[in-house]
Amino acid sequence: MSQKELQVIQAIEDEALFTFAEFDPEAAERVGYSDYSYWGSTLKIFFKNKTVIFFLILMASLILFATIQPYLPNQKSSTKIHVSPVTGHPLQNQEPSKEHWFGTNVIGQDLWARIWSGTRTSLLIAIIVGIWEVCFGIFIGAIWGYVRQLDAFMTEAYNVINNIPTTILLMLLAYILRPSFRTMVIAMCATGWLGMARFVRNQIVIIRDREYNLASRCLGTPTSRIITKNLLPYLVSVIVMRIALSIPGTIGWEVFLTYIGLGLPIDTPSLGNLLNEGRQVMMAPALRYQLIFPAVVLSVITISFYVLGNAFADASDPRNHY
Amino acid sequence: MLKYSLKRLLQSLITVFIVITLVFLLMRLLPEEGYFGDGYDKLTPEQRENILRKFGLLDPWYVQLKNFYSSLLKGDLGKSIIYRPDVPVIDIIKLKIPYSMTFGLAAIAVSLLFGLSMGIHTARNKGRFWDKIWSGYVVFINAVPAAVYLLFIQLYITGLKYKGRSIFPMLFNRHNPRSWILPLISMSLGGIAGYALWMRRYMVDQLNQDYIRLARAKGMSEKQIMVKHVMRNAFVPMAQYLPASILLTISGSIYIESLYSIPGMGGLLVDVIQRQDNVMVQALVLIYSSLGIWGLFLGDLLMAIFDPRIRLEKKEGAR
Amino acid sequence: MKRVLKRLIPVLLMAVVLLAGCTPTEESDTPPESKLKESGDVYNLYSGEITTINYLVTSTTAEFSVAANAVDCLVEYDHLGIVRPALAESWEVSDDGLVWTFKIREGVKWYTYQGEEYADVTAQDWVDAARYLLNPDNASATANIFYSVVENAEEYYNGEIDDFEQVGVKARDTYTLEYTLKQPVPYFLSMLTYCPFMPANGKFLEEVGDQFGTDHTNILYCGAYILTEWRHQDERIYEKNENYWDADNIHIKKIVSRYNKEASTLAPEMFLRGEITGATIPTASLDEWMDDPEKSKMVRPAETSFYSYWYTFNFDPHFPDEYEPENWKIAVNNKNFRKAIFHGLDRISALLTLDPYEPERMLSNTISPKNFVAAGGKDYTMIGDLAKWTTGDSFDPDLALEYRDNAKAELEGKAKFPIKVMMPYNTSGTQWANEAQVVEQQLESLLGEDFIDIIPVGFPPTGFLNATRRAGNYALQNCNWGPDYADPETYTEPFYPDGTYNWPEKATDPAYFLEDGRTVYQKMVDDAKAEVIDIERRYELFAAAEAYVIEEAWVIPFRVGGGGYVATKLEPFASPYAPFGVSSLQYKGQIVMEEPMGMEEYKAAQAKWEKDRTAALEAEAAAGR
Repeated sequence: MSQKELQVIQAIEDEALFTFAEFDPEAAERVGYSDYSYWGSTLKIFFKNKTVIFFLILMASLILFATIQPYLPNQKSSTKIHVSPVTGHPLQNQEPSKEHWFGTNVIGQDLWARIWSGTRTSLLIAIIVGIWEVCFGIFIGAIWGYVRQLDAFMTEAYNVINNIPTTILLMLLAYILRPSFRTMVIAMCATGWLGMARFVRNQIVIIRDREYNLASRCLGTPTSRIITKNLLPYLVSVIVMRIALSIPGTIGWEVFLTYIGLGLPIDTPSLGNLLNEGRQVMMAPALRYQLIFPAVVLSVITISFYVLGNAFADASDPRNHY
Repeated sequence: MLKYSLKRLLQSLITVFIVITLVFLLMRLLPEEGYFGDGYDKLTPEQRENILRKFGLLDPWYVQLKNFYSSLLKGDLGKSIIYRPDVPVIDIIKLKIPYSMTFGLAAIAVSLLFGLSMGIHTARNKGRFWDKIWSGYVVFINAVPAAVYLLFIQLYITGLKYKGRSIFPMLFNRHNPRSWILPLISMSLGGIAGYALWMRRYMVDQLNQDYIRLARAKGMSEKQIMVKHVMRNAFVPMAQYLPASILLTISGSIYIESLYSIPGMGGLLVDVIQRQDNVMVQALVLIYSSLGIWGLFLGDLLMAIFDPRIRLEKKEGAR
Repeated sequence: MKRVLKRLIPVLLMAVVLLAGCTPTEESDTPPESKLKESGDVYNLYSGEITTINYLVTSTTAEFSVAANAVDCLVEYDHLGIVRPALAESWEVSDDGLVWTFKIREGVKWYTYQGEEYADVTAQDWVDAARYLLNPDNASATANIFYSVVENAEEYYNGEIDDFEQVGVKARDTYTLEYTLKQPVPYFLSMLTYCPFMPANGKFLEEVGDQFGTDHTNILYCGAYILTEWRHQDERIYEKNENYWDADNIHIKKIVSRYNKEASTLAPEMFLRGEITGATIPTASLDEWMDDPEKSKMVRPAETSFYSYWYTFNFDPHFPDEYEPENWKIAVNNKNFRKAIFHGLDRISALLTLDPYEPERMLSNTISPKNFVAAGGKDYTMIGDLAKWTTGDSFDPDLALEYRDNAKAELEGKAKFPIKVMMPYNTSGTQWANEAQVVEQQLESLLGEDFIDIIPVGFPPTGFLNATRRAGNYALQNCNWGPDYADPETYTEPFYPDGTYNWPEKATDPAYFLEDGRTVYQKMVDDAKAEVIDIERRYELFAAAEAYVIEEAWVIPFRVGGGGYVATKLEPFASPYAPFGVSSLQYKGQIVMEEPMGMEEYKAAQAKWEKDRTAALEAEAAAGR
């Protein structure tokens, strides 16, 4: 303690023993300074992993290809039924060939084009649902976790919503809105945020009473700064991970909904639809390609997202930083 | 403890009540045509009315709700209206539950056994060959939708032949134990991956903790450390979810039961919702939601028993 | 020792034969001639579990297929489609055609599921069944079929009369049953093979109450088979009723059906592995089977059903503005427009989504399917103007383009081109969606995208028909109808005023209406209905009405139901043949062969069957029946 400080303490001693200190950003910065950068370390660790680089390139090229595929030369429409010039009838179940790289399906549509179109549909659904999950889920989760008075009520509401079978909601929605891309997105958004909200709420409950937050609060740090500097960095990393993991989850869910007959209409190709179509011919070995191609593409996508999400979670965990 | 338990029980009763009432009302929003199946065009308006009357659907919704609750209070879950007309719900599910529970419990046991040992094994050999293989397995099972790999398992493994006969039959048959193996394995795959992943993370975390170092310093053997410290502590967070997952084995597995034709509960709820058998839907939702909620409650109790640091009254953790 | 035995056996056998020959027995000169044929048991898979076996309530084919084998009717059809006595040994009709008297076969008994004798089958059983059927509390889905013909039954059902004695079904004595009808019904015998006319023991009905038919223990058996086991969504086992009155014609001893939700995908594979007796081959893997020299020998076509499908033009559109209902109304009332689509639809292309191998087999050129009924030895679809359609093909691209040009010229300035055609389909399966896509692309490429714009719209299975056809929420839709009795009248119902199909009575063409307010079509049907004595004349009148619907292009006849391909060891053409009722669902007369029948054999068997049937029909006609 310097001489000067001692004098200051002496000076205020008579008025009051303790007063609240004014928050001084500079002083705070000085105390907290190190050349450690959270995001820097995270990214450094993330990119150090060779598996990650591999999957990152794989995923990026998949997404890129799925996006630009229709604009490439010599690509076929995903819904056009190819007709044999000889008989005038649809070219059904053509095995992979020069003309149809992945063959054709049971009514003569090009499987290659359908798989990429399906990938776009499924990814788009997954991304929209993922973003919604994040926005709405975090919003609800934050309120739930931070506002103590609401906790009991929200927990009850969560239990209720969580126990209503999704199938009922989906059937009602499909009945009211008719099966379509929009209906699918609405249906998944309607229930998808629940897990996220609970997750965020639990994280906030755990973190908000941690010692360093308590200390920050005692030091007079404003709530906004606690949230942005103390809570969010921790949350953002896990949230990014949740989004990455929610994409394979949503795709799996779409597959399930298609399986129980509540999926997209079949003239909109999606990975779930393609898989379901493939499943119906799987017992014929010569036609199994109709199941295997979509299954492989779907697996590559879900595995890449899953691996990247987990690697990111590891990288973003400060305990792994050095 | 007793007071807390009573409070939780009451709370869960309220939750179940709200859930059931909402489900009841939602089912009434579904279109009337669904109650008639394909024969709608062949029925006269009088017949349609008689059918709806028999199902009790002509009364205003609040009368229906009142009737439902008054018979529920007498312990009567009602009789199915469409799924199997006039058969008491209890009689229907009582035949199905044993299949689902037997498979479910066996699958939990298998998952715990293999999952935990796999987790421990990989944690101790972190970064080595087997760790990578197991990690690949865990990633695959967690990332790829179950519908995909379950289908391929059935397709290819049942095709394996020994002396011209397939080793694993395609369909479940209660008289043929060989037909139980594939469904059981299929059902355990996800659990094994889940427990292994969790156990590995937990072990990697714990093995660097001070109390383990102290135990080592004291000269305890690795085996003793494992059993007395790590396993015991590892069991605490698991205890929270175990009762719920054990109770909910009665709901069965929708994919596996339909693939192997096991006459269990899997898919029953989806089935009765799609056929609009209101009585069955209500009964099943009632059973599942009460079991789910009470399972979590039991989990909390169990956790408090195993971990003396936890006091239920003040707990505000995840639910 | 073994060798010695082997050599001894023939000697011993010979000795036995000789001894038997020497022993004088009463039967020796007339050996018992059993008609029983060698047959294996049936093992099969099914995916749709039935909900009930209460045959007095259900109207679902899969559900009354149990009753078809468990309970007999008064009469039945043989394998050529000729009515034969079953539980009624004989019958007679009063001269006015109103009173039918049946002599019930004596000595037939009811058995429980354990095969124990319960009671005799008597005339009273039909009366008790009718009483159960007409009780509105039981909410029978087939009561209307019964009360549409039997005197006072509708009044009793609706509570207008309380006295069941007034209903026209009576047990005159233990073995004499009498039905009194509202008006003469020429096809009454065919109705008797349907569930509402099946017997049920009154005492048993009372005993089990509302549990009747909930499982195999809660019904009684008097038919060829007893359902000894039914575990829901698991398995069903039928065993032959050894005391059946016609046991000599029951060759299959046991039928084991296993449940599997994925039956359609798994069954073909299990058939190849020899685990089941028969399987339907899914459309998608048909090529695979046909191309394989071994497998192709096992596939044969499956029988088509009497469900009839047609693409229907809606005259009373109630769809959202985005599909331009007013514009559609103008277009659909133009006969050239309808004819352009009528002749433009390549039905074979659309049918390839269902049967890629031989789609022509399912094609139907009329509303009533072929082989449904016949009069004077002539099939109904070959009577009068119907013959022209039956023998031709509606698809004719040149004609379609000609009609299109006419329609364009006539509609120019009145309707907006391209005309939007809203075409709903059910999203529950893949086939319909595929068919919709094929039809859309085929019609648009033939007639031009500047002429029509077909918009397939997917609707969920939940409330599908109420949302689409019945609400008039379609422009063009694939609709269907199945017969309720063996008479052409049954196929007129969709187009008769107050139907819920396409409301031709709302058409604007004045040529469709008569001065008395009826439509032309209505009059044609009314006249045909009134003809109850001369069946040939009756059929001619109905055929004229049906030809009118096709000629005016209110619908485009498309296909029949059923069909597809099967690999099965069950012998075809041995089971009872009937367009309607439960007879065709019986295992009676069928056998399980050693090897499945291939395409060629099937065709030969079919040709023989058709010849036999024609001969049998002619013999019947000659006998004046």
